[in-house]
Amino acid sequence: MDRITHPATRRSLDEYAQIRYLDPSECCFKKTEGGFLSLSIGEKEQYERVDLVRAFPLSDSDSYISVRDSEGNEIGMLESLSRFSDSTRRLLEEELGRRYFTPVIEKIRSIEEEFGYSYWDVDTSAGQRRFTVRRGHNNLVQLGGRRVLVIDVDGNRFEIEDYTSIDSRYSRLIESLL
Amino acid sequence: MDRLEPLSDEARAAFARHGIWPAAMLVVAKADLSTDGEFADTWVVLTDQDLAVLEISRERIGQSDRGRQLREPGTSRFVSYSISDVERLTAESLPLSGILSAVVNGSPVVICRFTNTQARKFGIFAKLFGKVKEGKELTEEDFKDERSPAHCPKCGLLYPDQERRVCPRCLDKRSLFLKVLSFAPKYKVQIGLVLLCMVAGSALNITSPYIRGSLLFDQVLAPEGKYAGRILEIVVLIGAVQLLALLIGIIQGRMNAVVSARIVFDLKSEVFEAMQRLSLSFFNNKQTGSLMTRVNRDAERLQGFFLDGLPYFLVNVVTMTGIVISMVLLDWRLALLVLLPAPAVVYILNKIFPRLWTLFSRMFRRRSAMNALVNDALTGRRVVKAFGREAAEVARFGAVNEGVFAVNVETGLFTSTVFPLINLLMGIGGLVVWGYGGLQVVSGGMTFGTLMTFTGYIAMIYGPLEFMTHIVDWWSSCMDSAQRIFEILDAVPDVVEAPNPVRMPSIKGQISLRDVTFSYEPNRPVLHRINLEIEAGEMIGLVGHSGAGKSTLTNIISRLYDVEEGEILIDGVNVKDIAVRDLRSQIGMVLQDVFLFQGSIAENIAYAKPEATQAEIIRAAKLANAHDFIMRLPDGYDTVIGRQGYDLSGGERQRLSIARAILHDPRILILDEATSSVDVETERLIQEALSRLVQGRTTLAIAHRLPTLRNANRLVVLEKGRVVEVGTHSELVKMRGVYYNLLMKQREALRIRGVAD
Repeated sequence: MDRITHPATRRSLDEYAQIRYLDPSECCFKKTEGGFLSLSIGEKEQYERVDLVRAFPLSDSDSYISVRDSEGNEIGMLESLSRFSDSTRRLLEEELGRRYFTPVIEKIRSIEEEFGYSYWDVDTSAGQRRFTVRRGHNNLVQLGGRRVLVIDVDGNRFEIEDYTSIDSRYSRLIESLL
Repeated sequence: MDRLEPLSDEARAAFARHGIWPAAMLVVAKADLSTDGEFADTWVVLTDQDLAVLEISRERIGQSDRGRQLREPGTSRFVSYSISDVERLTAESLPLSGILSAVVNGSPVVICRFTNTQARKFGIFAKLFGKVKEGKELTEEDFKDERSPAHCPKCGLLYPDQERRVCPRCLDKRSLFLKVLSFAPKYKVQIGLVLLCMVAGSALNITSPYIRGSLLFDQVLAPEGKYAGRILEIVVLIGAVQLLALLIGIIQGRMNAVVSARIVFDLKSEVFEAMQRLSLSFFNNKQTGSLMTRVNRDAERLQGFFLDGLPYFLVNVVTMTGIVISMVLLDWRLALLVLLPAPAVVYILNKIFPRLWTLFSRMFRRRSAMNALVNDALTGRRVVKAFGREAAEVARFGAVNEGVFAVNVETGLFTSTVFPLINLLMGIGGLVVWGYGGLQVVSGGMTFGTLMTFTGYIAMIYGPLEFMTHIVDWWSSCMDSAQRIFEILDAVPDVVEAPNPVRMPSIKGQISLRDVTFSYEPNRPVLHRINLEIEAGEMIGLVGHSGAGKSTLTNIISRLYDVEEGEILIDGVNVKDIAVRDLRSQIGMVLQDVFLFQGSIAENIAYAKPEATQAEIIRAAKLANAHDFIMRLPDGYDTVIGRQGYDLSGGERQRLSIARAILHDPRILILDEATSSVDVETERLIQEALSRLVQGRTTLAIAHRLPTLRNANRLVVLEKGRVVEVGTHSELVKMRGVYYNLLMKQREALRIRGVAD
């Protein structure tokens, strides 16, 4: 193939990647009356509804968060939540918590195992809940260390922060299910 | 009329306070989250005037340490919107929950939040809202998609997985086992014989200690015995019993091996047949994905159960019962003493063995993880070397190896402590017999022979106990396997032939899509209200970004999936009514990743038409520009390709699949990225072959590289599941819309690539 020199090649790769990291000092997130997040960047850009998408939902949930408009197009990325003011950070964390709804299991009331399914009754950070987990190696996932993700039959997720610190009969059961 | 969900008393009262009475409610649905993202009961009600939401927060038990707002028990929040203000209602799937969102007076509003459990329900709700807003009456038909929580018809258990509708209780206990056995009636005689052998073998096992004990010592060796001194006869008898037991064992083993292998063979054949029958959507299901790979292992496990587990279990039950009866008959006091430690032994075994199985399964998992890693590093060795990651791989292996080492040590330490202890425990029974029995013999209360018989039984009774602690686990894991197998056998394909299919032996190829909406997962539509008319013999180029729905569109036309809304007509007949065989035999596909089956090139070309003559195969290959490269291979058309055969290049595989399509001679042709990743010359050859192939056929061609669609009569531009532009190349260029932008981007990209090359 013949070699054509094009000015485009002189641009740096970063420009091609075109990732726009949003400057925390320019972003103004607000909770709308309708329950969504709105965003205004500087003076000119206004979005009535934005959605937040985590790049690393499991390994680093508070960094690299994509902000998308109602059509799903990326407006930009937030490098880290820690760079925002406390109130904005809380707003963003709450929104993320609702989208990535993963209640933390605080107390296990009971787990009953029967015929390849386990029936859980737990108190979580979002209230009490019963759910059913199918036996199988992918429904209880160890996320490094003692963190365990529990996935129920409908695909809802629950988190146990440290499975060894809960009631020993259940921690042994959980270990056998892992 | 059914309204999706029954209203609770509490909610009924609360709605009444706001002037909404049950009689006015058209649709009622309960969401399980509050707008704050806590578990709650949120009722969403649709009347012909309003969309009303009532959120009842549940009582919180204990203090949340995350600083969340705690509410008084039973707090409720009520919001109501006039339907005329609500522009549209959408059920959206967020990553790990869902929302029902609306546009009210131009602003987006969250109506309610729900967990994935209720995604389907709110999808229906949104659809029903659309109808009500348009002023249409809701009919029974509209609620037919509704899936209220289903219960097992037999035992009433709520299905734990609503998508899977399998009752674990009934499956595991009775019907599953009987179902597995239902593969057995063909072998009634053999199974009867096996059972007979088992009973006979057990009986012989039980008599053996008696002959060697009581009979030998009390009747033959004792001077006052009935058969005193008849040593030869007793030896012959012992020998004969041994021989008979051996023979029975052999017969039983042989029969069993054949029968159980036969049952598993039948099972596997049926599973494979069922897998071919099922629709593609079955295989898309995440859980069944792993299910397929496990089918073989499940079948093996079942075979193991039939071959080892079940017979051994039956033999043990018969033997143990026999021994206990014999012991009681011989000397009930001693029998009682011997059996005294049995409950303790069972208890301890029950404590120890689960721990052991956990250890074993952990060992198994870590070992397979290690195997996977070794496999990765070896198959990917080029990548490892190219990136210079050898040391990292060694380190990775070291970590996994360490895990295996740790669990090996743990298991080793555990077993080498526990097993001697178990033996000791079981030995207690023996000590009791020797001690108490010895005293009895000395005092004349018992004969020496009886004592010997007892010691023989002792050795036999504790062995099976160990097995018995295992059998429950084994049984349940085998039934789990059986369940997975039957899940495939009993699955009903989504795409089924209409009761009175329309036979269409020769399709003209005119296609119309009317308001077609399709989604693979609930609330994530891939195609929105597609309307398209394609003339017979026309070539349509499908253009759009990846993920725009191009391949999905071709999938639903060939009815690999059924659409939920709208209809697809071929020559004016709904595809759902066309005989599946007629439809498939006249739709051909040339796909991006060509799948070649293990076999010769000729067999692969003739895949859809096995009766093709050699001349036909050569003609097809020639038209596909494949003939020349095939002739260069030493084995020509007989060259074996596929997984273990000759490795063809991407372009060669493409041309084989074109030859396959030419031979298949379909009326409707689907070309999905047929010329991706090949060099310029190969692309020319493929293009040439394709232009021959498309002649006179209705063709849908998908390509990212727009110039490859230059032969298309019309181009259809898809964006996010919607048709945005339709027209010829020059028309679309003039429009300066989506297509034009794509074209410009691609030209620029090509120019850049030109430099990079």
